[in-house]
Amino acid sequence: MKIKISDVLRHALLLVLVVIWIIPIVWLVATSFSKYTGMNTSTFFPAEWGLTSYKELLFNSDSVTQFPAWFKNTFIIASANCVISTAFVLMVAYATSCMRFKLRKTLMNIGITLNLFPSVLSMIAVYFILKSLNLTNNHFGLILVYSASSGLGYLIAKGFMDTIPASLREAAYIDGASEARVFFRIVVPMSRPIIVYTVISSFLVPWMDFVLATLMLNSGISSQWTVALGLNNMLDRMLLNTHFTMFCAGGVLVSIPISILFIIMQKFYVEGVTGGAVKG
Amino acid sequence: MNQFVKKVKQPFIDVANCLHKFAIALVDGDLFVRLSLVWMGAGFFRRKQYLKSFLITALEIIVILYSVFFASQYIPKFNTLGTVKQESVFNAVTMKKEFNDYDNSFMILLYSLVSIVIWIIFFVIYIRNIIHQYDLQKMAERGQHINTFKDDRRLYLGEKFYVVLLSLPVLGVVLFNIIPLLTMALIAFTNYDSRHMPPTELFTWVGLDNFVSLFSSGGLTITFGYAFIRVLIWTLVWAVFATFTTYIGGILLASLINHKRVRGKKFWRTMFVITIAVPQFVSLLLLKNFFADGGIVNTICANIGLTDFLRDIGVISTSYIPFLTAPGWAHVMLILINIWVGVPYQMLIATGVLMNLPQDQIESARMDGATSAQIFRHITMPYVLFITGPALVTDFVRNINNFNVIFLLTNGIYVTADQALANSQAKEVDLLITWLFTLTRDYYNYKMAAVIGIVIFVISALSVVIVFKRLTAGDREEVYQ
Repeated sequence: MKIKISDVLRHALLLVLVVIWIIPIVWLVATSFSKYTGMNTSTFFPAEWGLTSYKELLFNSDSVTQFPAWFKNTFIIASANCVISTAFVLMVAYATSCMRFKLRKTLMNIGITLNLFPSVLSMIAVYFILKSLNLTNNHFGLILVYSASSGLGYLIAKGFMDTIPASLREAAYIDGASEARVFFRIVVPMSRPIIVYTVISSFLVPWMDFVLATLMLNSGISSQWTVALGLNNMLDRMLLNTHFTMFCAGGVLVSIPISILFIIMQKFYVEGVTGGAVKG
Repeated sequence: MNQFVKKVKQPFIDVANCLHKFAIALVDGDLFVRLSLVWMGAGFFRRKQYLKSFLITALEIIVILYSVFFASQYIPKFNTLGTVKQESVFNAVTMKKEFNDYDNSFMILLYSLVSIVIWIIFFVIYIRNIIHQYDLQKMAERGQHINTFKDDRRLYLGEKFYVVLLSLPVLGVVLFNIIPLLTMALIAFTNYDSRHMPPTELFTWVGLDNFVSLFSSGGLTITFGYAFIRVLIWTLVWAVFATFTTYIGGILLASLINHKRVRGKKFWRTMFVITIAVPQFVSLLLLKNFFADGGIVNTICANIGLTDFLRDIGVISTSYIPFLTAPGWAHVMLILINIWVGVPYQMLIATGVLMNLPQDQIESARMDGATSAQIFRHITMPYVLFITGPALVTDFVRNINNFNVIFLLTNGIYVTADQALANSQAKEVDLLITWLFTLTRDYYNYKMAAVIGIVIFVISALSVVIVFKRLTAGDREEVYQ
């Protein structure tokens, strides 16, 4: 193949774009290895390199930095949310995709309407409801907030199940299988890609969410926080100069597992969003 | 149009049919059907469905106990939202100061709402129970088989499996979505704000006052109307720009990467995906400091002389470039940073779509001598639009409510110089949703937040209704099954 000028230009353009996109991430990683604790404003790369911020973050817990505890909290909340959400999403998706009943369209329309309300909007009321049940500043309450209405996110999974040929299910009915059996033995095993997608995406919610966590865990007891709350607190004006590199170190530590999960998930995300239409 | 009328009429017809059946059941039913009016389990008991009889009786007792001992404390006060203010009184017996038996307006509002929802659900179950008892009676008279517990189990794992599947998710949505939303909607009609905070103060119904103060230019001190117009315009401008820049950027980037002469497609794609795989609160908070007034970008700009140049031509008057702290600058920066955040996402979706382009069409177009630009415009673009159109509308609505980008980038550093905006606790860069958040979290102005929430919903719903109908190519679900 002959190399054309247009090919070189194309690759050069891509390279420029990648550099623009990656600069902040490089800065994040570089700063996390700085020996200086504040924000390096004079040079792009730190003057002195070292692992101090990682050491401080992981092994020296004080009232401001409780990274191991935050990580554990977030992990527990994320796991619980992941189990409940995945179950809910699959249940709703199966009911709306594979079964026909009278209120199906009505329920789906209500679902679409409810999705139009941003979650921040109802959060204030949810906060008061949980407060009256004594569930604020409580991880169980936060899990409920994340997972209780997760059934509304069923659309991608439904779109996937729509593409599973109905003939497979019909064959099973003729053999005398009940609807529950079809669900567990045929549709769930065939929905593996969308289950992976749902599991990962619901696992990621508590790691990425900042707003709901600030509202629900507002007692100021730092050992209760999630990673997002804790890291955000380090950027408080009072703490910025002593904790900025720790924020970066924490950011890197959280980003590594999340990036891996995310890169696994994105394949399924694309399949889900474009799924039905593309296959046809 | 006819179909629309039919759709609206249908629920009413259903309700009428249901009530009609209920009346027939009462007139023609036997003793046990009528007894079910009082003891809901009577009919089931007569047909030897003891477990069902027990369950529905238990439900009846729970609802009655709930109504008598709990709802009765709140429902009667629903029209005033409470009249007794909290006061501490000296108790002579315990020798301590104690609170009187005060009303908590919020609890009255919330629990009344919960009670009403419970009662409506119970009422539906109640009516249907009677109808069902009459059906059972007729079945028994005809000598038909009445379901045993085992049969019922089979029914609910079979054709009624959806009831089992949907009950928990729907319960979750009702408790954590519908009831909170209705509560917020009701608060929009009260004067619940920092001066009327339960438990120390009461709040009450004020009708449409909050809507009036949002939509009119308002009184002398607080000019919510002015702030509302400013915030609304920026919200819409933001949503349009944010949606289209990332959408078009994503398609262009995807077609650049997917060009057949580009090597290492996977590598390029992964590099872009890494930037969105970092949690937004990390990357956005980082960018906030990256572009801070005393941040690294400003240092670099000062070093290369850009800051001085801009000051010389009069674009800025400060010794730094106010990337995220001055109106205009901040608006542009927000849209640019949003491109940084959003393009990789759109690139992913567009990649999926582009990989499935109708190749035969493109080939035949090329044979006919079409240029690549023509192919892109006449084949690629319409195809991509057709498939991602609905997602475009969802993106628009999502951008109206794009809380993260605006909040994480401007919270704490952007201070408005506009006194009129500041009076309404708004900023030039606020979206409706971030304004709502500030009003509730920092100023406890729940009434205005609730009104803004309703406005957000109306805007989102309108854009969906107007655009969605045109973009969706009908319901696809049946086609593929």
